Amino acid sequence: MWRVIKSVLAALIGVQKNQQREEDFSSDKPLAFVIAAIFVALLFVLLLIGVALLAAKV
Amino acid sequence: MRSLKHWSVVSFLVPTASYAWNMPVGVTDVSGDIYRLHMTIFWICVAIGLLVFGAMFYSLFRYRHAKGAKAAHFHENTLVEVLWTAIPVLILIAMAVPATATLKQMYNPSDADLDVMITGQQWRWRYEYMGENVAFISSLSTPQVQINGEEARGETYLLDVDNPLVLPVNRKVRFLMTSDDVIHSWWVPELAVKQDAVPGFINENWVRINEPGIYRGQCAELCGMDHGFMPVVVHAMEQEAFDKWFAERKAAAEKEISGIDRDWKLAELMERGQATYEAICASCHQPDGGGSPPAFPALAGNEQLIADQAWHLDRVLNGVSGAAMPAFRNTLNPVELAAVVTYTRNAWGNDAGDVVQPLTVQELIAQ
Repeated sequence: MWRVIKSVLAALIGVQKNQQREEDFSSDKPLAFVIAAIFVALLFVLLLIGVALLAAKV
Repeated sequence: MRSLKHWSVVSFLVPTASYAWNMPVGVTDVSGDIYRLHMTIFWICVAIGLLVFGAMFYSLFRYRHAKGAKAAHFHENTLVEVLWTAIPVLILIAMAVPATATLKQMYNPSDADLDVMITGQQWRWRYEYMGENVAFISSLSTPQVQINGEEARGETYLLDVDNPLVLPVNRKVRFLMTSDDVIHSWWVPELAVKQDAVPGFINENWVRINEPGIYRGQCAELCGMDHGFMPVVVHAMEQEAFDKWFAERKAAAEKEISGIDRDWKLAELMERGQATYEAICASCHQPDGGGSPPAFPALAGNEQLIADQAWHLDRVLNGVSGAAMPAFRNTLNPVELAAVVTYTRNAWGNDAGDVVQPLTVQELIAQ
């Protein structure tokens, strides 16, 4: 679980170890990555909305 | 031929009162903020550029092939990659904070002391002091002989208008910008305002000018033939001088309205009409009424125009759909419309001999 999230976060900033990448791609549960990625992307959007709202208020 | 000459001058001209290399500090608090923000970010970019290119050129020189340098072959370095991602993100965030603060200020037109509606038209600006019954058109006033190259260019070549926008200093003035035809852009560098005027939309902006003075700008959105001939001039005055000017304007507007229902003489209308013609119509139909066919038909010697007053009025009031001729029913007042129609019917050898009264025009507009 933690490894999936770590990989998704690494993908978010676009930096990943090659060894880690190969391990991820040989994983037999790709769906876990997809779901985690959508979840993290949503969180990122919410974070941006929060920052924008905060900036509009200050 | 005339229009060709017109164009060749335009394409190579640089205003004499040209802008400096850098953006101006300007005369409003916001323009100063924008300038400082611009300089801060400029120096950040300079520092980053020096660092990055310095490192690059040093490496190129120090580890050059001639000295027997061998390339290191490795695939990745996660630490370095994370660093060169994180540092730019931090720099961007650090720049976004003051930039956002300035943007918020720029786009906060609330609590204005005065509202001015700015309407772009091909090719002039119209200013209306909202709720005050003061409105006028601001057209280029650079003499035609300078544009034709027959006379030396003045200091403010193509940056002069007949009726400048007059504003008080130290007052928050809100601008409401729109357009009657195509997209224009109202730009005065010293006020740090450059805002598109879009037909069918109203954009907001505002200024609080700190120093009295004359500030000049231009239309900044390509809007057709005379795009370079619709400058913006703002006179910023002390409150007292502004109040005096404003009272005069109001009185003149009232006099104008009361002038509608009296009978005007031919000579009066001709004089008034000539002024209106030269400010509004001459850019297309030419000062001598010769036009630039086929886009802009000649008015001098135009038989249909001379023979048919109703047709002539309809063209001026309602425009010509599908052609460049705009409708002037809301742009000019009845006196100006009556005068300019009378003028074009009787100038340059046109011999209609009739007089169009402002009252007639007002009734036509009301229909």
